[in-house]
Amino acid sequence: MSRMLSQIWTVIVMNVRSLPQRLWMSLAAIFAVAVVVAVLLSFLAMSNGFDITLSGTGSDDVAIVTRSGSQSELNSVIGRDSVNIVSTAPGIAAMENGQPFYSAELYVVVDGRKKSSGTEVNIPMRGISATGFDLRKNVSIAEGRMFVPGTSELIVGQGVLNQFDGFELGQEVKFGKTRWTVVGVFSTGGSAFESELWADARMVQDLFNRGNSFQTIRIKLAEPGNIAGIEAMIESDPRLILDVDTESGYFATQGKALQGIVIFGWIISIVMGLGALAGALNTMYTSVASRAAEIATLRAIGFSNTSAFFGTLVESIVLSLIGGVIGALVSYSFMDGLTTATMGASFTQVVFTFELSPQLFQNGILMALAIGLIGGFFPAWRAARVPVIVAFRGSM
Amino acid sequence: MKDFYLIFKNLTRKPLRLFLTMFATFVAFLIYGTLTSFQVAIDSGVDLAADDRLIAVNKINFTQPLPISYVNRVKGLDNITDVTHLNWFGGYYQDPQNFMAMFAVDEQTFLTVYNEIVLSPDERQAWLNSRQGLIAGESIAKQHGWSVGDRIPISSNIFSKVDGSSSWEFDVIGIYTGTDAQTDTTSVYFHYDYFNETQSFGRDFIGFMGVRTTDPKLNEAVIKSIDDLFANTPYETETVPEKVFNKAFIEQIGNLSLILGSVVFAAFFIILVIVGNSMVLSIRERTAEIGVLKTLGFKSRRIFFMVLAESLLLALAGGMLGLLATNLTVAAFNQAPIQLPVLVVTNGIVGEATLIMVALGLVTGILPAINALRLNIITALSRQ
Repeated sequence: MSRMLSQIWTVIVMNVRSLPQRLWMSLAAIFAVAVVVAVLLSFLAMSNGFDITLSGTGSDDVAIVTRSGSQSELNSVIGRDSVNIVSTAPGIAAMENGQPFYSAELYVVVDGRKKSSGTEVNIPMRGISATGFDLRKNVSIAEGRMFVPGTSELIVGQGVLNQFDGFELGQEVKFGKTRWTVVGVFSTGGSAFESELWADARMVQDLFNRGNSFQTIRIKLAEPGNIAGIEAMIESDPRLILDVDTESGYFATQGKALQGIVIFGWIISIVMGLGALAGALNTMYTSVASRAAEIATLRAIGFSNTSAFFGTLVESIVLSLIGGVIGALVSYSFMDGLTTATMGASFTQVVFTFELSPQLFQNGILMALAIGLIGGFFPAWRAARVPVIVAFRGSM
Repeated sequence: MKDFYLIFKNLTRKPLRLFLTMFATFVAFLIYGTLTSFQVAIDSGVDLAADDRLIAVNKINFTQPLPISYVNRVKGLDNITDVTHLNWFGGYYQDPQNFMAMFAVDEQTFLTVYNEIVLSPDERQAWLNSRQGLIAGESIAKQHGWSVGDRIPISSNIFSKVDGSSSWEFDVIGIYTGTDAQTDTTSVYFHYDYFNETQSFGRDFIGFMGVRTTDPKLNEAVIKSIDDLFANTPYETETVPEKVFNKAFIEQIGNLSLILGSVVFAAFFIILVIVGNSMVLSIRERTAEIGVLKTLGFKSRRIFFMVLAESLLLALAGGMLGLLATNLTVAAFNQAPIQLPVLVVTNGIVGEATLIMVALGLVTGILPAINALRLNIITALSRQ
């Protein structure tokens, strides 16, 4: 057994050491695998980043109430009377003054200009109150100041500032007949709220002719994740045609919006992987053919065919893994941390950052390994069956 | 002819290598063909947009409404053939995931402004006469299995009826096709009156207007006259050519052409390396033979072109098979019950692909061909 292992080891070392002799073929195989892995990881990093942004947005101790069937904040409408009824539901945390802890908010869409393309895009504008600030974790004013309630001032998320033109601090923007001034920049630790403009709820109601209606109610839960009390109330009161979910549940569904990208990324890279596999097979068959005499010589002096098999297989895996690591590094250095914006489920832009997590890195390495394994197996099989006579014939 | 026989024999002398190299080329062109047809389908919204059609939306954002009274005021302006209005309904069939592009429209003017929509005269008349009738595009009708005469419930995720429910009853009156193979047939249109009278909020508002001008050259003037008309009102408008509107809409998703382009580029880069390498290798293996050919009196030039022809043939064979497979893939996508634009492998795609094949063949063949051209008989024969 140990003799077998030492034989395999000898052949592996010999093959790997002779790689430079087949430099160009080997480089081609490495390169093909690197490209496939880089493409796969880039797609996965994109979707992962989007998912992380949205799942980081929702909080488990906040419930979100929308009109039944509206599916997104944008399509929802909730009258003031419904807001009042819901606020008496059991399970709602109390503020310091004993009042129920909730925030009725508006969510409308205004035009912004995307820096990367120069075209107009949908930016969400949230009508909010001070309670809405207290309700959310991690909200802080990064620059400037908070808007003064009752004035047409607004503050912008850092993502907006980063990706879109027209909302710089001090800038005046005109929506309809009203002029708004940007007085502050807020940050929410990278969540999707940073893609929004925030202004006083009453002012937004006036501007968009919403009377005294809202679009969502954010409710601080007395017990994280427990929305049973609110659910029961909506169920029993026929005036309430509403849906309730935890905020984390709501955003988790929205994060699935780029699921299609993951599927697309996998399909494309598997198809490309087949092309790379053809390259790997080509390389390895050539490698076996060029070393046929050596392999046969080893067999003639008593090496087993198993060692010839593993020698070739390992050579192929080594090449692919080198390619995989290079591809992953390329993807990491170009894609990880890249910030961009896309249309989210609410029909508005969501700013997010590509995230290449170790988990995804693993996927890339597995892909490379698969190509190396299959690309090495068949040529290795051939190597194992090189007849000893070849050693004495000189060429194959 | 004799040369061709030699080239063919050279190509097929190592069937396995031939197969693998061709397969890599095949894969790259399959990716190229499929992704480019996606790209063409995405761009068709821009390419097929009528030059003389303008879209007037609320200046704040196109999701904000406009008063219906605007339609008649725009109609009164100069250089306009017709004006229609559309309202996004947020409709879905059975499952909220089955959302679709569904608009409440003014039927009469809609059919003149959007004249790429093809309905039989009977269906057209029937639709104009039926209050609850809708017309559905061929592709969405196929997806949901609707046929003319069906009565179907459609829900809205935005609007609700006066009675609180958000489900409307419709009669499928017509299935429309387009004047172009790539005209969008995934949309559904129904009567604005039916919508306006039954829904519970924001009555007498519309989503946006479609305006046809008498001449695309007058677009700029018409745009100015519309936007000036409503300047400094609570509902200012922003009017743009349909092309511009559609392009901006696609850009909202992101730079799709950059993503698709990079993938195609990566795929080609892979085969360039694989095919190039295997060409160099197979010519190097034949060094002695080329020496023999030269000894027999084959001109260097002739050998040069034979090698080049071999690599061209290799690229064309693999690439053409890839395009063939693209046709099958695209047909499968078009049959699949998923909401996708109609994919067409256009002549443009085939032409461009052929050019790329030729370029690939030349690039991968040129180096070995030059080597063969320069090869000295003595070195060739002594290099065993």
